[in-house]
Amino acid sequence: MHYPIGLLFDLLASSSALPWNITVHFKSFPEKDLLHCPSKDVIEAHFMSCMKEADALKHKSQVINEMQKKDHKQLWMGLQNDRFDQFWAINRKLMEYPAEENGFRYIPFRIYQTTTERPFIQKLFRPVAADGQLHTLGDLLKEVCPSAIAPEDGEKKNQVMIHGIEPMLETPLQWLSEHLSYPDNFLHISIIPQPTD
Amino acid sequence: MEEDEFFGEKTFQHYCAEFIKHSQQIGDGWEWRMSKDCSDGYMCKTHFKIKNGTVVSHPGTSGHGQTCLPLEEALELPSDDFEVTETAAASEVIKYEYHVLYSCSYQVPVLYFRASFLDGRPLTLKDIWEEVHECYKTRLLQGPWDTITQQIVFFASQKFLMEHPILGQPFFVLHPCKTNEFMTPVLKNSQKINRSINYITSWLSIVGPVVGLNLPLSYAKATSQDEGNVD
Repeated sequence: MHYPIGLLFDLLASSSALPWNITVHFKSFPEKDLLHCPSKDVIEAHFMSCMKEADALKHKSQVINEMQKKDHKQLWMGLQNDRFDQFWAINRKLMEYPAEENGFRYIPFRIYQTTTERPFIQKLFRPVAADGQLHTLGDLLKEVCPSAIAPEDGEKKNQVMIHGIEPMLETPLQWLSEHLSYPDNFLHISIIPQPTD
Repeated sequence: MEEDEFFGEKTFQHYCAEFIKHSQQIGDGWEWRMSKDCSDGYMCKTHFKIKNGTVVSHPGTSGHGQTCLPLEEALELPSDDFEVTETAAASEVIKYEYHVLYSCSYQVPVLYFRASFLDGRPLTLKDIWEEVHECYKTRLLQGPWDTITQQIVFFASQKFLMEHPILGQPFFVLHPCKTNEFMTPVLKNSQKINRSINYITSWLSIVGPVVGLNLPLSYAKATSQDEGNVD
């Protein structure tokens, strides 16, 4: 359902060599299983909805709501036309936070596993602990998806992947959110079985 | 994880439990479902309607401009009566599903819905909108919802297709970003007149009609009889 292509690759095909070969169907639309996507506007609406939700988490929607309609349009057009500078001119404002804070209010993230019925895990999680320590990727996983990480001496069963790489679990979550988010401002994290090779 | 806001997930679950209690008393069909991993849950209700207001005659129905009669009532009739009065083909029966989930991002409830024919073919949003339009128009004309009406109309245009966060299937959604805006006057008003309300009841009575879901008035009365507040 409108998942970023990089996420789909990490989750479903990360063992494939690039370029990723996919099959596009033009006939026999499975009417009973899928709903038609009526237009490009729907994709834009979905993208903006994710942006707004991310900002609801990061800034109680204050930053995105202060923007003008043309700024929202610029975010979408920058993405659609692969114009990073155009996109980032606006998006960088969504990556800022007040000087007196140490990070965003909550981190926008979604954790995907193909083994569960639930499409993804998304919960409220603060980037900074009460004592001022920055929470790490490992802290997040321990809290919301403990099965993803192996016990201390145990064998590593899973890979925790973002954008095709496995960031160290000690990486601060705030940093990941600022630098490794997808264009919709979410961290889309895949938990996939450790490849055996 | 964190609940420093007015409407946290536990509060949501509490109001849903109260709502479902009343639903059970009047046979309104709402039930609570847990996710498979039992970490959260949602309220849901299914009902059936005949496409385009083919009215099924049923004893005891007042039928005031009711263009959408629940099919279940018709199906309860003994089969002889049913064959005499029922004229719609099976393909014209539409199954509506409504799910109420909690959004931790916006910290409000969210209404997910979908509709399909009995053979599984889903209805598009346009189809659904045409179906509920009649019911909604009537409701709009009846309402004392002056200031809220405008917001509902805007709100209604915000519905679109998303993935159900627990089931992973496509549902239409009334986007939650405006919920706080139209719920705030409702909450303020209830505080002013010092009357406790069930957030879910108030919210659903506003957004439900937009998608063909109506709440019997007894829900409101049930709330004012509730003792005590949420802790």
